[in-house]
Formats: sequence, structure tokens, C-alpha cells
Amino acid sequence: MELNIDLNAFLANISLLSLIAIIGISLYGILARPNIIKKIIALTIFTDAANLLAILVGFRAPPSQPPVLLTIKPSPEELQSFSQVAVDPLPQALVLTAVVIGMAVNLLIIFIALQVYRLYGTLDVRRIRRLKG
Amino acid sequence: MRKELIVATSLTVTIIVLAYVITLGSGLGPLFNGIRPLAEVYLRTTLNPSQPSFTAMSPEGVTAIVWDYRGLDTLFETAVFYLAIIGAIAIYRGVSEKVRLNGAGVGLSMIVKVVTKVLIPINIAIATSIALHGHLTPGGGFQAGAAMAVIPMILIIAFSRYLLLDLKISKEVALAFRSIGLAGIALTAFVPILIGLLSGVNAYIMQNQLKADASFSLPAYLGDALVSGSLILYNISEYLAVTFGFSMIFLLLSIEEDIVKEQMRGDGVEH
Amino acid sequence: MDLTYLLLAVVMVFALIATYLAIVERNLVRAVVYSAVQSIAFTLALYLFRAPDIALVYLPITVGIYPAAILFLIKKTEEVEQP
Repeated sequence: MELNIDLNAFLANISLLSLIAIIGISLYGILARPNIIKKIIALTIFTDAANLLAILVGFRAPPSQPPVLLTIKPSPEELQSFSQVAVDPLPQALVLTAVVIGMAVNLLIIFIALQVYRLYGTLDVRRIRRLKG
Repeated sequence: MRKELIVATSLTVTIIVLAYVITLGSGLGPLFNGIRPLAEVYLRTTLNPSQPSFTAMSPEGVTAIVWDYRGLDTLFETAVFYLAIIGAIAIYRGVSEKVRLNGAGVGLSMIVKVVTKVLIPINIAIATSIALHGHLTPGGGFQAGAAMAVIPMILIIAFSRYLLLDLKISKEVALAFRSIGLAGIALTAFVPILIGLLSGVNAYIMQNQLKADASFSLPAYLGDALVSGSLILYNISEYLAVTFGFSMIFLLLSIEEDIVKEQMRGDGVEH
Repeated sequence: MDLTYLLLAVVMVFALIATYLAIVERNLVRAVVYSAVQSIAFTLALYLFRAPDIALVYLPITVGIYPAAILFLIKKTEEVEQP
């Protein structure tokens, strides 16, 4: 079968649409699933997908390289060619802290879920809603 | 299970067909064909001795942005990290991890324990090298802390949490090491101002290399080795803070539920 | 055709299937394992996006620490999600 389309764009579109679908599925998980643990799992997947989308903003079509210089005494020509091929380091720096801080906040949510179970005896939001006090 | 597989397959096929249809038109336009001008500034100045008032003196663009160009952001992110872990500890207030259950703490089989003992030194070496080379190669304080925080978790699962208690790694010890890390970050942030005040030159908070109106700069080279001024200090401090922050959480999370309930109930009767 | 885009498409479709299984699975232990599989796929995607820093921090966090914490939570509470 002859494919008369831009294959690179086709594959890139598959990845983009998959990422959007992942965001949609995890949003469904956060909003519609009754169990708090399932909500936490969906929330982490949603955070990860959002972070990946942020990285994707700074991506540059191959041939490209990570934003790390391979020499510690660069000449001006090397710096010039480096800035022409390296990807955007700013989203990576922001996501780097977001991943670790997000994990710490997730751990706080896990502790709160544990406390909810100790007080109510269940992690099902429908049953927690029915219990008064 | 079969229903889920059918739905997953049809989802994949839908996405591939949708991508094909989108590509048949003009598509989403040219993808990934360049970066923003700001990014080029960062890439050109991350290690550029010919522009001393803009460079961060580190070949690693990401670490340079995390701790130099946008250092204050990271400082406050670390504050959020601190507060999240303090919040988790506050939920466990009054619960001591030193109480032991009879008969518990056997751990997994001999094979797992021996393999763990072999792997732990390798893991420590990798994490430390990630932290110490954070300004030269991909890596840094956050990455090293995350890699190191796996160790207490593996120890708890393979040997039970009583091993950490026998090694004298309690909640208080972890809190102390974490405070050392945070104090290191704060100190490194204030060192330029202190030196500036003492020697009478202009200096800013979290300054690394010299700026146009502040001629103070931390040493970029230690002998022949490139240390990138404050970056290596920040990386080591953040390494300590992240490692022991997560360790503390795991110490608390591994306490048996019976002990926690007993102590929390005891608390309620007292007050 | 560029190898980066091909691997990226494969990895992202893999992550999509793992995400779907993680969300619909009723047994929470299995859901966490599917979520860890999704994280591995995302780590490969991050590597392909030329972000080795993020891959380094992302792998221990989402394949080591986070499943362990959730498994502790599941062990102390309930294992099956009620329909």
C-alpha cells in the first residue's frame, strides 16, 4: 500500500492524539470513579501527561540534542551550533521541580486518604457522603 | 478482561485513523520547528566565559536554569516540598515509630535480603555521583534525592521497618538531616550578601556569577575542576533534603495500622 | 521517516492502553501496576524528547516511590473498588 502522506507528521500526530486521549481518560478517572485510591492514581497520570505536554512544547525536530554542552571549554562556533540543535531547557527545568514537588503533595494526599479511612471506615466517596459527621 | 482489550484496541485504531485523517489535510502545521528566543539566550550563555555577566558557568542547561537563572522559583518550590512533608507528619502527630509488635519484622526470604545487600552500595554510589556531577552531566539534587529515596523503601520491604530502627534512623534523625539540607540551601542563598556586606561590594541574594552592577562571584573552578560556583552546593543540599524528606514519609507510612490506631485513640482519651 | 517519531508513536500508544487499563481495572493492586507500566512508557517518551534530566528524576519517583506508597495505602485500607 502506498502512503502518500508525510510519515513523520503522521507518527507525531499519533503521539499527540494519544497524549490528549490519556488526559481525557485520566480526567474521567478523577471525576467519575468512586474510590479515592483510584482517584489518586488518575490524578498522578493526569499530572504526568500535563508534564509531558509541557516538555513537548520545548521539543525540536530531530536531529536535535539535550540541552547539555559536551565540552567544558566551548568555542563561539560550538556555542552557535549548540544553540541551533539543542531543545528548550526552560520547560524541562520547570517540570523537573514539578515532578518531585508533585510527588511530595501526592504523599500528603495519601496520608489524608489514610486518615479518611480511619475516621469513616471506607474510601468510597458515595458512602462517605452518606455518613453524617 | 476481553471487553477491556476490545475497547483498548478500538481506541488505538480510532487514534491512528484520526491521525491519518488529520495528516491528509494540512495537519497541525509544522511541528517542533524551532525554539523560543528566550531558550536561545539560555543555551548561548549557560557556559560562555566571553560573557561573564550573563553566564552560569555550567554546561548543563537545566541545572543552570533550576538553580541560577530561575533560582528563586526553585527556592519556593523547595518550601512547598517542606510544607507538604510537614503536613504529612502533622497527621501522624503523637504517633511514635519506636513501638514494636511482637513477632513482626521477619522480612522477605534470604535470597532477597542478600541481593538487597549487594544492590544498596551500588545505588548509593549512583545517587551520589548524580548529585556531585549535577552541574556537568544530566542530574542534580532532585534526581539524586529521588534515586536515593528508593533505598529506605527497599530496606523496609525486604527487611521490615525494624531494621531502620536498629540502624538508629528514626523520624528525628531524618528530620535533622533534612534540616541540614534546607539550612545548606538557605546558607548558599545568603552567602553572597554576607560576603558582600563584609567586603563592601554590591551583591544579590542567590547570586552565582558576577552581574553588571555586582562584581562579586563565587568560584567557578576549584583547581582545574569546574564546580560552577553555587550550583554544586545547592545540588548537595537538595540531595540531602529530598532523600531524608521521603525517608521520613516512608518511616511513618510503614508503621502498622494497629499501633497507629492504639496511639491515636490513646491521644483522644487524654484530651 | 525518523526513528524518534516511530518509537514515540509506539511508546505513546502503549502508554494509552496502560492508562485505559489502569482506570477501568477494579482490583487496585493491578491498577497500580498498570500505572507503573504507563510511567515506564512515559520515561521512554521523555528520553526521546531529549530530556534526560526528567527521565532520571521520573523513573525512581513514579516506578519506585509512588507505587510503593500506594501499595502501603491499599494494604492498610481496601483492595477492590466497589462498582
